[in-house]
Amino acid sequence: METRLDPKIVQAINGENDEAKKAGTRPCLMNRRQFLLTGGIATTVVMVGIPNMAEAQTPAVISTYPRKFITKLSSLKVDEPFDFLYPDEGDYSESMLVKLGTKAGGGIGPKEDVVGFNYTCTHQGGPLQGTYQAADKALGPCPLHLTTFDLTRHGIFISGQAYQSLPQVLLELEGDDIFAVGMFGLIYGRFDNLRG
Amino acid sequence: MSTPYYIPEESVPLPPPDADVISTACDYCVVACGYKVYRWPVAGGKVGGPKAEENAFGEDFPVAPLGNWIAPNQHNIVLHNGEPHHVVIVPDKGTDFVNFDGNSSIRGGALAKKVYNPQTPTRDRLKSPMIRMFGVLMPVTWDFALDIAAEVGNYVLKQHGTNAYGVKTFSYGYMENTYAITKYALRHVRTANFTFHDTPSDVTSTPGFRDAGFDNFGPSYDDWADADTLLMCGTDPYETKTILFTNFIMPAIQNGQRAIFMVPRKTAGVAYAEKNGGLYIDIQPGTDLPVVLAIARVIVENGWEDAEWIQQWVNNKWESSSGFGQGTRNTPWQWRTTWGKFQTAGFEDWKKWLLAQEYSKPEVAAEMAQIDVAKIFTAARWMAAPREDGSRPKTSIMIEKGFYWSNNTGNTQAISALGIVCGCGGRPGQVIGRAGGHQRGGLRGGGYPRNKSPEKLPGRRRRAIDTDRYLMSGHTRLAHVIGTTWVQAMCGTQSLQAKFDELTTRNPHQVASFSKQDIIDTLKRRVDSGGMVVWNQDIYLVDPIGARYADIVFPASGWGEDTFTRANGERRIRLYPKFYDAPGESKPDWWIIANLAKKMGFEGFDWKDSNEVLEEGARFSRGSRKDFFMVKVAAQREGKTLHQKFGEFGTNGIQGPVLMDRDGNLIETKRLHDVNRSLPEEGPIGSAVFNKKLTHFNSQTGKCNIQKAPWDLFSSYWEWLKPREDEIWISSGRINERWQSGYDDRRRPYIVQRWPENWIEIHPKVAAARNIESGDYVQVYSDRIPVQNNTIVGVEGSDFDFATLLKNGHIELTRASITAVAIVTPAVKENLGYMDFLHTAQPANALAGRVVDWISGNYNYKMGVGKVQKIGESPYKKQFRSMSFARRDIA
Repeated sequence: METRLDPKIVQAINGENDEAKKAGTRPCLMNRRQFLLTGGIATTVVMVGIPNMAEAQTPAVISTYPRKFITKLSSLKVDEPFDFLYPDEGDYSESMLVKLGTKAGGGIGPKEDVVGFNYTCTHQGGPLQGTYQAADKALGPCPLHLTTFDLTRHGIFISGQAYQSLPQVLLELEGDDIFAVGMFGLIYGRFDNLRG
Repeated sequence: MSTPYYIPEESVPLPPPDADVISTACDYCVVACGYKVYRWPVAGGKVGGPKAEENAFGEDFPVAPLGNWIAPNQHNIVLHNGEPHHVVIVPDKGTDFVNFDGNSSIRGGALAKKVYNPQTPTRDRLKSPMIRMFGVLMPVTWDFALDIAAEVGNYVLKQHGTNAYGVKTFSYGYMENTYAITKYALRHVRTANFTFHDTPSDVTSTPGFRDAGFDNFGPSYDDWADADTLLMCGTDPYETKTILFTNFIMPAIQNGQRAIFMVPRKTAGVAYAEKNGGLYIDIQPGTDLPVVLAIARVIVENGWEDAEWIQQWVNNKWESSSGFGQGTRNTPWQWRTTWGKFQTAGFEDWKKWLLAQEYSKPEVAAEMAQIDVAKIFTAARWMAAPREDGSRPKTSIMIEKGFYWSNNTGNTQAISALGIVCGCGGRPGQVIGRAGGHQRGGLRGGGYPRNKSPEKLPGRRRRAIDTDRYLMSGHTRLAHVIGTTWVQAMCGTQSLQAKFDELTTRNPHQVASFSKQDIIDTLKRRVDSGGMVVWNQDIYLVDPIGARYADIVFPASGWGEDTFTRANGERRIRLYPKFYDAPGESKPDWWIIANLAKKMGFEGFDWKDSNEVLEEGARFSRGSRKDFFMVKVAAQREGKTLHQKFGEFGTNGIQGPVLMDRDGNLIETKRLHDVNRSLPEEGPIGSAVFNKKLTHFNSQTGKCNIQKAPWDLFSSYWEWLKPREDEIWISSGRINERWQSGYDDRRRPYIVQRWPENWIEIHPKVAAARNIESGDYVQVYSDRIPVQNNTIVGVEGSDFDFATLLKNGHIELTRASITAVAIVTPAVKENLGYMDFLHTAQPANALAGRVVDWISGNYNYKMGVGKVQKIGESPYKKQFRSMSFARRDIA
């Protein structure tokens, strides 16, 4: 099934079409969180207004993330992480893209198995580079305090001490090109994903 | 509850430089890490900035690894003095002990989400007293509720006797509260129908330690790290007392400590140890005793015992008998040690007994436990074999509930003897003790009236009442339940629940009036008709004890909502200050008890605040492991309150027992039984207490009693219980991410997402045979859950042996069924199903037999059996939002 997103949604998510200014005023806006939460189930996102929903309850889009080309889908091999920086090149921007070979929450591609995550443990900032566990589709254990994360389930911790799920990189597929378009969860060390 | 789904945030407000900073400690596990609360008003919209000079941490953002990062789960908004305030609650980066690098577990790491905020799932905190009228709990005033409770309470005492007033309470909900509760129940009501949250009877948790002379919490945390070999039985500290593992044991393993785990299930700490050269002794439930004795046997057969230690610190024949056999023998300790089943005439006598037991042979023990016999020899060598240079390894032994709640008496006797032969006691890195579960917040305001208990075992010995069996027999007319689920926290919970139903909701006398007098009269009629009334004090409405059974609900306040004091697992006492307003009309438990007691006509409950309670109770701590009386002396000398004085110690706290030197300085105690410690020659100053436990052991002579651990006191139960046909063992315990009944975790979307309901880990072979996959809903059930249903007077030595109870008709077989989400993993022993121990809706304890360890009176909670069958698929099987079925033992 085609997993490509409606560009209008992407624009809305990234605040590139003045949606941010109108936040809270349009009944059919879907935010990034809702996208990611539903991403594992529905592969086609349909923009439908919710009848009788008060406009004030409509979620808002506030942050603006860069839309960054990462790599080509066809270049990914199952269980071989591809490293990149996102959402900027500052501290803790090291992230990974991996084709899990199994359907995953927020996954893109024909098998919905390509996911992206930040590499820094959301407990105390331990580095997760090099800890990909192919058999379990997991990152970890973190060398500091042994937390492990399930990459098929939005980076939820499997076992351990992380204060939140591993931040997931929101991906978009355009033809064979994979773009990073947002983050889901606060990156370790930062107080705001976009402000450091 | 609002949303069961966790929606991660992408930013968090930083505390400004002028934020209030309050030192406290975590509310959860026994380790009690130090925390700091940063608090500042919402009004004005002020928040800190990313530059060091712009925030309260004085750090530039992004911060370094191990830095002062704030996860969104560490922020909340509360009312303080009626005004909205931000709070950021993070581990203290500046503390010197416990979590000395500012580390924390996920439990404490998400403390901020426990505080009351009506915009979060904490909104259902109890906020006003309630009385059940017309079947519904209705908010009323404190006076209305307390008047009724006092009048009905006094009526029960007068008409039905003090034992008809049952008190079931937490043992650890801060010293101010436990002092008030025990003063009320034991000194004033004087009921023997009293016990704590985790046992049907007010008895010692580790009888073998008690007899040997070991304090449960003698060791310091440094001792666990200083051991060359560490045997951990029935627990993975990574899962349940995380910082003890990650800050002490994990670095020790990195530096060459040989870690031995004796547990039937592999979790992250076990996997880490094994990967780094440790040993995993994967016994099946209930077979600890033969394995421990087999290790001891290998040690003594090789002459590896610590002969010098034994010579100096183990009672010989005459010392073993000294102080025994006199008086009424009306204590469990005296009875156990004079009965002949346990007592020895010293090391050689014990050794002779050990070598004569078939089950202490390594091959026999390995067969019983279903383990590779080589592990027994390896463990013995690591624990006791001298090195080439003749020096001994420093060995320590840690036990916890998986061990002492499976064959409670036998296991704790066996491990004490093993500890003694390895030289574990009171030296750095050479200790034996409990790791601990909850924090240590008990302070006794009254003694238990054991001679009012009907429980009598053979040999002129009384034991504390079994409150569950007493209730099942219909003797409890008023159940006053404080901060515990009671039903799901005990064993055979479903038949226990049926009895609660019968005595309360199915009794014809139900309140159908708004008049205070009518309510009182109706409740009295229920009591007189053989029914039961229930008062419940808690912070949330618990099902069923509060939601279904309570006639009166008292809303309690807790952590951060009043100023309290408590100790951790190395006796470190800290102040937990109030930092925000308690919700609604909720009050601390000491206040509720005091006001109830006053209305009932009891004197001595006129406390103005929690500090006054602690100041009164301080003298009852004298001589205990957390003796803090001298802190009060110091406080008074300096014109401070006791709470103020404790506050000065901040997150470092002060380690008890606290002594005082000649110059008035407070002296801490690093470890108990510290045989190398020199106490001041001038003796105790003022009211300070010097007792045996400081430099010797808790025995009649100050030396250890080395005792026998006969398997046959337990074997008839184990043999009868062990899985038949397609049954498997059903055991349970804590999971890292959830604390106790999940009262807070059920209200943390992040944790709910991980563990939305109870689960069962089963082995792939068990799963395949039943066509079960991870994510399937299964039913866990049994039609042979044994329940001991009569209080009998013991005459013959074997009257309470399980086989005899069964033969004489005192055991009833009951049925139970719970559901769970299956997790198929090779991390569990093949014939074991493992569940979270306390989900109120799916209580694993339903499958555990309600038959107490007949020597001690404790339940063997970890011993259950049942069958597992698939119901269908759970919603978690194919969704990606909740749960994870990945294995937890990735190393």
